[in-house]
Amino acid sequence: MNSKETKERERSSLLPAGFLVLVMLPLMLLPLAAVFLFALEEGPRMFLAALVTRDALFSLRFSLIIAFLTAAINLVLGTFAAFVLSKTRFPGRHQLGIILNLPVAIPTVVVGTSLLLLWGPIGIIGKMLDPLGIQPMFTVFGVLLAHIFVTFPYMVGAVKPVLDDLPITYEEAAITMGATRWQTFYHVVFPALRGGMITGALLAFAHSLGEFGATVMVSGNLRLRTQTAPLYIFSQFESGNLAAANSVAAILAVLSFVLFSLILYWTAQSGSRKVRQG
Amino acid sequence: MVHKHGSLALSLGTALLGAAVVLWTIWPLLPVGRSTRPRTLLVYGFAIVEKTLTRSIFPAFQKKWKDRTGEELEVIGSFGGSGTITNQLIMGVPAELAILSTELDLLRLRQAGVLQTEAWKELPHQGIVNRTPFVILVGRGNPKGIREFADLARPGVRIVHPDPLTSGAANWAIMAEYGAALRRPGASSADGQALLLGIWRNVVSQAGSGRAARTQFDNGFGDVLITYEQDILGNSETGSRPFEIVYPRSTISSEHTVVAINKHIRPGQRELVRAFLDFLWSDEAQRLFVKDGFRSVEDRFNRGNPKFGTVPDLFLIHDFGGWLEAKKNIIDGIWKDKVLREIRP
Repeated sequence: MNSKETKERERSSLLPAGFLVLVMLPLMLLPLAAVFLFALEEGPRMFLAALVTRDALFSLRFSLIIAFLTAAINLVLGTFAAFVLSKTRFPGRHQLGIILNLPVAIPTVVVGTSLLLLWGPIGIIGKMLDPLGIQPMFTVFGVLLAHIFVTFPYMVGAVKPVLDDLPITYEEAAITMGATRWQTFYHVVFPALRGGMITGALLAFAHSLGEFGATVMVSGNLRLRTQTAPLYIFSQFESGNLAAANSVAAILAVLSFVLFSLILYWTAQSGSRKVRQG
Repeated sequence: MVHKHGSLALSLGTALLGAAVVLWTIWPLLPVGRSTRPRTLLVYGFAIVEKTLTRSIFPAFQKKWKDRTGEELEVIGSFGGSGTITNQLIMGVPAELAILSTELDLLRLRQAGVLQTEAWKELPHQGIVNRTPFVILVGRGNPKGIREFADLARPGVRIVHPDPLTSGAANWAIMAEYGAALRRPGASSADGQALLLGIWRNVVSQAGSGRAARTQFDNGFGDVLITYEQDILGNSETGSRPFEIVYPRSTISSEHTVVAINKHIRPGQRELVRAFLDFLWSDEAQRLFVKDGFRSVEDRFNRGNPKFGTVPDLFLIHDFGGWLEAKKNIIDGIWKDKVLREIRP
């Protein structure tokens, strides 16, 4: 392809690209810009002052730790679920697949409520645990439970298509060559899955970082205990501290920009590898 | 090859950045120069008291506790609409103390079994820590010429009102509106209902708490807001919208009530909770409340304070037979069953 052709193609795609930006401007780009403009309105020093409070820093740290744990747990759990759904045949497989995807569609507030109705002090299991002094809700554990629940489908969704596309002949070939099930997984399936697993874990991490609906129900919104960054933003906004809310919001926006850049990078990487393999 | 170098630098940069974020995140968890975990007190409160508690009352009490026992104390709070907080308490959050906007919410805690007795009634002032009258907030220059609650029923006045389902302020505001109509000479309950109907036809936005409603008003929603006088006096520096306060002739004085949730208080914490409760009614704490625009339960702290406006006819929830009666006959009986139904049939 010569450079003239490339240029022509670039020029002809300017129109739809320009249109996309025009549409996205009021929809997404300007609102996001507003967060940054407001956050920086009174200068970088005020921005830092609003950010470097004990509550704000705690909420950011807490969110990052929860997101990491969520991603790590779902990496194992989600990959396992995808493997079972894709490689085994059992009655009710499709229905189970649908149920595992539910958290994408049902409001996260409902996820939070359902957890409370099960594990909360007045919940079905929680009622029995309460006299023993075990209280999973309104603790770090409750927040983690909600985040695993909510981000689970993203992990499965990233890994299962790769597994579905993986020709069964590869595994059969490995087994005929005398590989054990585990060896087949480790040497044949896992390398093909790596891109999907990383994408899935990053997606789970990103969704956990921004999770609000379920967290607000199960965390008790305790500052310095269970208050995640999105909850902090909401509380501060509700009580009129726009500067504090915006500074943390700006940090979250930057973080998720970096995360999704990584996700795109990894998807592209695993895509090109597949092409090379093919 | 240049491309290879570029991507190597990129991955190295990303890895370094990632490592820095990880290190920063887990820093407080590392055993570097860490003292023992301080003793904690867990307080849930309604939205309006957040600022005064976290910035004045908690630090003052922490200092007092340290002077007395030598112990570091950490006070952890969670704040929201009074109804929201009450729902969380019923769901089982482990709060040791709760400060709620209306006694109604305490009665709900009693009904739900969170409180075994009406424990707040055994405290000084029946558990009331401070008060504040309900007033009307309007834009500067009072462009709509609002003087009384009755003016809010005029067509074209856009009202920001908190939501009675989750907000204590909203319940107080309904009682203020209804009561103001009822206290005119010769008025009957029908006049109260008519005023509520007129006002609620004009409500353009409902917020989860009095505090959230104020944020909406500050952001340019509506022409008027009905809220706590304290929320205006105590937060005059926030909000970009110029405003002025209208003191109606008749309005209600809200009374905010504290209770210890004995079910959640371990024996080792009892003395601490007791000390905190005592502190709330001490001269020092009451002065801190007044400084932030609350009216003290002791009149000597309010008298002659120039920042408080005058309300010629200040009434109390007691005048309606207490919150149980007011909830049954007015909030549910009139506002919910009649007014709301007529607006949204």
